[in-house]
Amino acid sequence: MEPADELLNEQAALELSEDPMRLNMGPSHPAMHGTIRMVMDLDGETLVNLDVQPGYLHRGFEKSCERGTWAQVFPYADRLNYVSPMLNNVGWALAVEKLLEIEVPERCQYYRVILGELSRIADHFTCNGASAMELGAFTPFLWLLKVRDWVWDILERETGARMTHSFGRIGGMAEPPTATFKDDVLRLIPELHKVVKETEIMLLRNRIFLDRMQGVGILSKEQALSYGVTGPVARSTGIPYDVRKDHPYLVYDRFDFDVPVGEDGDNWDRFMVRLEEIRQSVRIIEQAIEQMPDDGPINVDDPRIVYPEKNAVYTTIEATIAHFKLVMEGLQTPKGEVYSFTEGGNGELGFHIVSDGSGTPYRVRVRPPCWYNLAASREMLLGGMIADIIPTFGSVNMIGGECDR
Amino acid sequence: MPKFTLDGKEIGFEPGETVMQAAWREGIEIPHYCWHPGLSIAANCRMCLVHIESGRQMAMPQLVFDEAAGEYVPATKSKLQPACQLEAADGMVISSTNDEVKTAQASVQEFLLLNHPVDCPICDQAGECKLQDYYYEHQGTLKRKLTEPVHKPKGVRFGPTIVYDAERCIMCTRCIRVCDEVAKDHVLDMRERGNRNEIILAPGRELDHKYTLMTEHVCPVGALTSQDFRFKARVWFLKSAPSVCTGCATGCNSHADYDPRNGKIYRLRPRDNADVNKFWMCDDGMMTYTRHDTDRLLMPSVGRGDARLPVGEDEALILGAEKLKGVDGDKLAVVLSAQHSTEDNLALAKLAAALGAEQLYLAALPSWEGDDILRNEDHNPNRAGATLAAGGAALKSVAELPADVQSGSVEAVLALGWATEETLEQLAPLLALDRVVSLTSHVGALPAVASVAIPVADAFELDGSFVNAKGMSQSFGPVLPAPAGVEPAWKTILNLARQLGKDLGFESLESLRQGLVDAAEAAQ
Repeated sequence: MEPADELLNEQAALELSEDPMRLNMGPSHPAMHGTIRMVMDLDGETLVNLDVQPGYLHRGFEKSCERGTWAQVFPYADRLNYVSPMLNNVGWALAVEKLLEIEVPERCQYYRVILGELSRIADHFTCNGASAMELGAFTPFLWLLKVRDWVWDILERETGARMTHSFGRIGGMAEPPTATFKDDVLRLIPELHKVVKETEIMLLRNRIFLDRMQGVGILSKEQALSYGVTGPVARSTGIPYDVRKDHPYLVYDRFDFDVPVGEDGDNWDRFMVRLEEIRQSVRIIEQAIEQMPDDGPINVDDPRIVYPEKNAVYTTIEATIAHFKLVMEGLQTPKGEVYSFTEGGNGELGFHIVSDGSGTPYRVRVRPPCWYNLAASREMLLGGMIADIIPTFGSVNMIGGECDR
Repeated sequence: MPKFTLDGKEIGFEPGETVMQAAWREGIEIPHYCWHPGLSIAANCRMCLVHIESGRQMAMPQLVFDEAAGEYVPATKSKLQPACQLEAADGMVISSTNDEVKTAQASVQEFLLLNHPVDCPICDQAGECKLQDYYYEHQGTLKRKLTEPVHKPKGVRFGPTIVYDAERCIMCTRCIRVCDEVAKDHVLDMRERGNRNEIILAPGRELDHKYTLMTEHVCPVGALTSQDFRFKARVWFLKSAPSVCTGCATGCNSHADYDPRNGKIYRLRPRDNADVNKFWMCDDGMMTYTRHDTDRLLMPSVGRGDARLPVGEDEALILGAEKLKGVDGDKLAVVLSAQHSTEDNLALAKLAAALGAEQLYLAALPSWEGDDILRNEDHNPNRAGATLAAGGAALKSVAELPADVQSGSVEAVLALGWATEETLEQLAPLLALDRVVSLTSHVGALPAVASVAIPVADAFELDGSFVNAKGMSQSFGPVLPAPAGVEPAWKTILNLARQLGKDLGFESLESLRQGLVDAAEAAQ
């Protein structure tokens, strides 16, 4: 075969089109977080137009909820933001509990807080680690991800699963805390601080890192508000909105913690907000461990909501019936609708549920925080360089499972 | 109309009606076990206790533990009344949900479960059991009793159809009352009291009257189970479709419970209809569903005896039409069926008219034992409908058909249905004819003597109607889809007419039904 360049007419003048070049990125692309597609118009390397297209990971989550029982939603909820599944589990449990007008015992509330904050720590470490990796810093990625493994070690001991725990229950949790739970968490805390410190040493004075992060991917406060952005992305623009502070649920009103905010809404601020939130989560965990009672019930005392003990199911008719009803028909909720929201890994995770009074949700609508963050990402990326898509998009932390549902 | 208030809702009532009855009519259920709208009032389960909030309060003395004093002190509580026995009065204010009533309901429920066996996993009633429903709705507490429950006889054979489990029984006496009041046969009664209470048979008797399955039907728990349905299916897998019983000319309304996974009907249940069957069905009627998948004819066939060959559906229509082509209308006998829907019969009557056939016969099952409760002597659901379809013309009995064949006045036969009083031997003269076409859902004497047999849908696969002995036309829909390649008879007849080049004046079930309305109006 002839070499391809022989076909070129080298005498001809090189013509470059003046029109922007249209380029597709994704939905399956090694540098994209999750399956998402970006159609971009490029002038050189500058983005002049951008269309962010989600929908490639649509699982029909909300529709699927309409054919199972209320309790059967937990495994689906795990797979929303699968980087911090426990936060979704607790969010769903709180939504149904709000509908039922019940409150779980205090011990369970603390347990939920601690497990949730551990998940948030893992979530933020993962996101920040990935941000660094996308700028070529692979070592911090591995150093940060090891924290996730430590957190998951604890979650595995508690729940039996490292990632998709399905551990939440309506009216409680699947199991009470293990005997070593508090010690395990306390032992982890100094290590967490160490890694946060290491991250700062490795990255915060790195010229390349600073140049690529500071002043890149800027989102203004006004834009953030108009897009309904929440979570670390909103806080990086200076909006001090945190559901845990502004609409306390569980026992968050009993803890002393700060809500870190940024100023510029750029990649750097998003990175720093997450880093600081790790510290604040540790503060919450420390206080929660101190306040959490060592014994007492984990689940509400109602066999119509929580499965009775297996032993009782096998030996008494009352427990058998309760078990049968919960399995076959699901726990019965009153007619009505509620909106319940918690602070997820990426912001306000809301569940709007409608009940027709049966054992199955009539309608479930999730407010996935990163859906709104994703919408705002166009504003961050437009006018920037193509190479900045990767770190900026990483710092938005779009999770396909939650965004597309 | 006088009114009383139940939980804030005004309910009108006829003087003499009970609170329960009036609420039930309005579609409001006050929890109950022993009350049944079709039976007398027993008021023994105490589940329907309500509080009359109007009028002078009746108080009962009780002892309440006083924490401060550390001892029981005398107090009073309201005297609750059973709603099933409480005659409604104008302006009465009743609560079935206040705290006192809730406590009563929870306590009654707890008492009923006190000695109940842990049987749900093996009990046929599980999934439609009132003990389960009311436990969830009104009790919701775990067992407090630590001692062994009282044991009583289990798996007692009450008769050929019913098995009794005394441990599951809550002694509501509905089964006793259904025997007394519906079947008019005092074969069940109760012995002992308290914990030892159990339902027993009259000495020397079995539960063997014609309405034994109604005892199981009214049983609110799993104490009485039907031999037929026992351990066959789990009710939560079953779906239900309205149907009409094919057993006799009464046309009792039923629910046909089927499993959509395997397309099998598992049981019939009576469907309330005050004008026809009230709340009941007879045993034989309840069992008519078994006919659905027994002795079905599924393949069209041509020829007789050993020479009978299966053919395709289209081929069968062509061959059937060939047999009828060129037959002198005077020599063609058309047999309507008292087992088939009015629509099927009407389509056939129209084809008969198009072919010029004037000799119309009616195939029907022989009469059976009737009674003055529900059972009609006529064992066929649609004799009246078939007669109506024929336009009121006199229908000869199939018994006359062999003689007519032998006398030469009949040379070809087009027959619908399988149900005949006549046996194969009696119909043997038809074997001499070459032109005998049978449209049938089941095997039988008529299909056996046919030279072309084409399968059609049966009553559970059909959109149609029956006219009962009272002249009421009751429509029903298909419970299950017909087997592949099998069409309702009216459609097969329409296709047959197309093969014969005849226009029957209808193209769909709707236009056929319009013809039925016209026929009914013409008959008046």
